[in-house]
Amino acid sequence: MSVFAKLWSYPKTNIERVALVLVLAIILVAIIGPFIAPFDPLKIAFRSKLQAPSLAHWLGTDGSGRDVLSRLLHGAQLTLSATMLVLVVVVAIGCAIGIFSAFIGGAIDNMLMRLTDIWLGFPPLILALGFASALGASLSAAIWALIFSWWPNYARLSRMVTSDILSQKFIASADALGVPTHRKVFHYVIPNALDVLVVQVALDVSAVMLAISGLSFIGVGAQIPAPEWGAMIADGRSYVANGWWIVLAPGLAIFLTAVSFNVVGDMLRRELDPTSRRR
Amino acid sequence: MRYVAERILFSILSLCVLLFITFVLSHVVAGDPAIVAAGPNAGADKIAAVRLEMGLDQPMLVQFWRYSAAVFQGDFGTSWFTRQPIADDLVRELPPSLELVFIAMLINLGVSLPLGLLTARYAGSRFDDLVRLLVLAGAGLPVFWLAIILQQVVAGDWQLLPTAGRLGFENREFIGATGFTLFDSLAQGRLDVFADALAHLVLPAFALSLLFTAVGVRITRTAMISEFRKDYVVLARAKGASEGRIMARHVFANGATPALTVFGMQFGWMLGATVLVEEIFGRPGIGRYAVKAVTQSDIHAVVAVVFVVGLVFLLANLVVDITLFLINPRRRVKA
Repeated sequence: MSVFAKLWSYPKTNIERVALVLVLAIILVAIIGPFIAPFDPLKIAFRSKLQAPSLAHWLGTDGSGRDVLSRLLHGAQLTLSATMLVLVVVVAIGCAIGIFSAFIGGAIDNMLMRLTDIWLGFPPLILALGFASALGASLSAAIWALIFSWWPNYARLSRMVTSDILSQKFIASADALGVPTHRKVFHYVIPNALDVLVVQVALDVSAVMLAISGLSFIGVGAQIPAPEWGAMIADGRSYVANGWWIVLAPGLAIFLTAVSFNVVGDMLRRELDPTSRRR
Repeated sequence: MRYVAERILFSILSLCVLLFITFVLSHVVAGDPAIVAAGPNAGADKIAAVRLEMGLDQPMLVQFWRYSAAVFQGDFGTSWFTRQPIADDLVRELPPSLELVFIAMLINLGVSLPLGLLTARYAGSRFDDLVRLLVLAGAGLPVFWLAIILQQVVAGDWQLLPTAGRLGFENREFIGATGFTLFDSLAQGRLDVFADALAHLVLPAFALSLLFTAVGVRITRTAMISEFRKDYVVLARAKGASEGRIMARHVFANGATPALTVFGMQFGWMLGATVLVEEIFGRPGIGRYAVKAVTQSDIHAVVAVVFVVGLVFLLANLVVDITLFLINPRRRVKA
């Protein structure tokens, strides 16, 4: 069965079907967005500023005459690739620490997990704000900042999953056969942990994206006039009264992306994660 | 009492981690503090002098110790943009933020607890589905966007609530003893000021609370739903207790504890999230202070806010956990 056919067998309600289609569409837009955008997202044209949505400009133009739709399409790539970058690095770092912790056990394991407990508690947004402003405001600073405050989630998760796997019988037989540790990690632990990680990543997309756009909105992330969705909202703020579409479009984009990923994440959890078969 | 001691120890440990994080942020990530402090036009000899003066030639561990000692004495340094001790700024900015978070928390609890309880009772019903949908939508809304829309529509177009600020123009002279306007106005018997302050709080508090309420409903539902399956509920039903009594006296009393722990954590997270709301509504507070400090690259002020929010977070958790422990009736049976 192909990946898509398998994926399409998961949704049980119409909401889940719509969300899955939206997620795939959003990913597609993030990839090809810059190629299908009708205008240059950064080109200023004061003569055509603050135009309401029309046939020429489907989502209108902003306060500097830039085409909102083109900015939205470019922004999809910027916002989502930043989100994905954060998640990929966080999964890598978190899993390295978590798996190491589970394998080594004892006092070091205990200490590492205490540290993640403490770290996890602190308000992530304010931690990221501190880190990003220490680095100097930019999109890459926001990305580093979120990595800095998000890694404990995955350290905790992967440590839990790993010690779960390590307690199973096939590991005992592997030990008896003398399978080396690196082989255990890459052939036994990671393949078995993959489903749980995929679910968590899908669920975290919305939170990370909201955090990135929030940081950009405050001014420590992507800088205006970059078409990042949060920065677009910050830029359009002063025109809310006579250009509602400038703020509405990126906000709705964030909202739809976040909700679809949440629905799909929940769905994946139900289908893939054996520990969550509650209802 | 062992639990209380352990809980306090964990908080102290967390405080050390918090100190370490803020130290790393201000002394390592932000670049060489001596270059920062010496100013943009300083030469190499000036920087060297500043480094000696600030003790930055000492080993990191010594510096960390000094930094911690200073923080414990309430010394966060001087802010570049207010030109005042940061500690004074924080004392002034914290009450309005706490006030905002307090009201947002009331909204959160007022919605989450009843909705969580009812959706758990009627799990799988149309009502449950509807609430789940609303929760999903709420969890995906960008707070700052919602705040802008609310401000424009409810305050701007409909003129239902004030647009910005903490008090209306006619009350601008109002001065209270504590800085908590709601409390001060009541203490002085100024009900008009109280109503004014409350009206200014509604929109920002609602915007701030939404994301947390979405999580809160979910958490409460999960906590309650396992309670409904327990034997004592069956027993209570068999004895003929009314459904309302079962929900209020039995399920809620038992299921609220794990949910309340999460609400305790949310208090600190909300205080952090004020950075997204206060600036939009032109309210004073540490959120707006942090945003201003960020735009002025005033790293010490930003780090001070990080520390204070972290500290409030730790204290709120500690208080909630210990209170829940002390009022837990099961403890009496065990002891």
